[in-house]
Amino acid sequence: MTDAQPLVVRDLSFQYTRRDTPAIQSLNFTLNPGEILLLAGSSGCGKTTLIRCINGLIPHAYSGTLQGVIEIFGKSIQEMCLAEISNEIGTVLQDPDRQIVGSFVLNEVAFGLENLGLPREEIFQRVNDVMDYLNIGFLKDRETFQLSGGEKQKVALAGVLAMRPRILLLDEPLASLDPASAREALSIFRKLADDGISIILVEHRVEDVLAIHPEQVLYLEDGKQVYYGDAPGLLECVDYSQIKLPATIVMERSRGTPMEPFTSSLQGKDGEALVEFEDVHFRYKEDLPEVLTGVNCTIHKGDIIAILGHNGAGKTTLVKHALGLLKPTSGTVRLQGADTRKSSIAQNAHTIGYVFQSPTQMLFAQTVRSELAFGPENLGHPKEQVAQDTEWAIKTVHLEEEMDMPPLALSFGQQKRVSIAAILAMRSRILMMDEPTAGQDYWNYMAFMDSILQMPGFDSILFITHDVDLAVVYANRILLVDKGKIIADGKPHEVLAEEERLNQARILPTSLLKLNLEKLPLTGRFMRAEALAQFA
Amino acid sequence: MVVTFGYKQRNSLVETFDPRARWIFSILSLFTIVNFWDIRFLLYFLLISVVQYSFTRLTWKETKRAWRFIFFLMFIMIFVNTIVTSAGTISDVTANPHVLFAIEKPIRFTMTIERLWFALTQVVRVLSITMLFIVVPFTMDPRQYGITFKGMGLGDKLAFTMDLAFRFVPTLARDFGTTMDAQKARGYELDNLKGNIFKKIARMAPIMIPVTMNSLLSGEDMVNAMDLRGFSTSGKRTWLYTLKYRKRDIALIAYSVVVLIISIILPRVFHIGGFWVPPFLIP
Repeated sequence: MTDAQPLVVRDLSFQYTRRDTPAIQSLNFTLNPGEILLLAGSSGCGKTTLIRCINGLIPHAYSGTLQGVIEIFGKSIQEMCLAEISNEIGTVLQDPDRQIVGSFVLNEVAFGLENLGLPREEIFQRVNDVMDYLNIGFLKDRETFQLSGGEKQKVALAGVLAMRPRILLLDEPLASLDPASAREALSIFRKLADDGISIILVEHRVEDVLAIHPEQVLYLEDGKQVYYGDAPGLLECVDYSQIKLPATIVMERSRGTPMEPFTSSLQGKDGEALVEFEDVHFRYKEDLPEVLTGVNCTIHKGDIIAILGHNGAGKTTLVKHALGLLKPTSGTVRLQGADTRKSSIAQNAHTIGYVFQSPTQMLFAQTVRSELAFGPENLGHPKEQVAQDTEWAIKTVHLEEEMDMPPLALSFGQQKRVSIAAILAMRSRILMMDEPTAGQDYWNYMAFMDSILQMPGFDSILFITHDVDLAVVYANRILLVDKGKIIADGKPHEVLAEEERLNQARILPTSLLKLNLEKLPLTGRFMRAEALAQFA
Repeated sequence: MVVTFGYKQRNSLVETFDPRARWIFSILSLFTIVNFWDIRFLLYFLLISVVQYSFTRLTWKETKRAWRFIFFLMFIMIFVNTIVTSAGTISDVTANPHVLFAIEKPIRFTMTIERLWFALTQVVRVLSITMLFIVVPFTMDPRQYGITFKGMGLGDKLAFTMDLAFRFVPTLARDFGTTMDAQKARGYELDNLKGNIFKKIARMAPIMIPVTMNSLLSGEDMVNAMDLRGFSTSGKRTWLYTLKYRKRDIALIAYSVVVLIISIILPRVFHIGGFWVPPFLIP
């Protein structure tokens, strides 16, 4: 053991081989035992590159020019092989689906220990210890691909912790978690730090992370270090349109220049019924439990619906029924009066545009332009209209400059926006988006949500989200889903005021929700923090 | 994430055998079967495969998708390659043919007794082999894939790679389904593929490219994730589970070896087991 600092980074820069500009430049920071360092910044600011430099994937798996010094417990990382580094540093990747290699939970948690060649008894002991520590012992014999998002994240963390690293790198670990699971994960991180592990936590959800009091914050912009210091200092200096800060801070800081309340082109006034769910039950296989357990609801013209609920509640399954991608085991789903059992998905796509959760599952074309034209061309839209709609769609997601780039060469965040634009270009009457903000930075997703919701042409918009604030700002109707049932359906200020229901759906009130509920007698509706400033 | 085949514990007789013994039995049986073209021998091996299958407690419902795929391949292989053309037959079939019927128009086509019998022999042969292997994904615990291959003599890394490769098949099937849904939601219809073969292949791009790219990207991420957990270390790896041969496993392996040796000797030394047509069929 050494008394040296766990991590010292001095004057660190890195440029990928095929890039013209450095991904990170002149970064300087240190990490002490038991400290949490929050690494924040918008998409493409260099967070992931920094993580790769520290865990050794750069230069082992990614080539480029690396300058500067990284020391782990006093030893230069350049003198260490990847196996040595992985003994000291554990990395939990953003997407647990891409980290988990074991077919069963026990195998997954033991994987690193097997690689280290530890005696079998010690492996079982360590696996049991770490699973008890994370309270996931009951998952031991479960198949990994059947776990919920939150469970997968904990299992991935257990697999890393079992190796007893002294430094932990967490790359957006909350990205796929519902609010309650995210809070549980964060309290685990705090506990780990309090037990002596040094943690670098990369996260867009800055407000959530502030709740566990990170000792330090490093804020990057375009690969450069803009802020390095304590958390209160970040709240003072950072641009609140770039990262999401607590609502009270944003309201306070925008007092001088309050924003007008957001108004959508859609107004919910119980218009014509577009999609009707009538006692819908669904199970994926006969021997599996029901995922939808009796859904009754109607989507009307003018609705902007946010579907909230925990991981595995049945939100995506519900929405897939509207398009006919899934057919009910019993009950009926009607799209504009027609039973979805009797129409093809391609026919339904004329009415419903559905943005899938993961963009990599659909992008294939040589350019963004042809990717965007694919849907409208399939629907038989005239050429001129296709050209016009693709231009409009790409502007909506702020990717005009990438129009002739191959979509697969773009970053994940950009790919996600291309996938949204590809559906927007179809000009469907109803737009449904599954986690539209996942993997996006705050400025980008707020900007494209503003554009989409102000654009005329949609009869209804529906989005699934774990981001309660997105529902607060944009929705005029909320569906709370729990165990395959809709447990609450109504206006945001009605549904989100019922704390008991929120707890049932594993939703946690955010600072923006609390502030809106407090100001509701004055405002009469929910709005973003910048607009609440005029009521301060 | 890699997923596994639809394994569930059935407490069947087949599951009581060591997975290495089962693999050795299946692989050696395969090499045995390919030594024969005589339907009488092949019927014996089909019987063995049927017996094994019946001891697995598999239901038609569980396996029907796999069987449909196999029947489709068999149809292509046997009907097209043996009956319509004789491209897939062996020299014994074409050497001294007995014509069953012949037509001149619209195309010139001759069907012989040998070719028809060869097709039947092929059916028995292919069924014997597929029935041997189709049970594996449904009845072998995925937790034991790696240690099984390791126990059969592969190195640590190769054994784990085989484990992953085995799980790649159902993963690919799942990704294919997801991409298919995503493209259908964009008005794409696979049923309406029009034009010549090249146009049809080009129309498959919206499915094939995302599935392929997703596999490559996931593969890269997975390799990184494995390396970050010490997979690339050069030292000896511990395997969580251990396997132990029992008497029945030894007996199964011994049987497989003996039968393989017999299958090698019979055709080569005694000229038994080659293509055979029942004499009563020959005019």
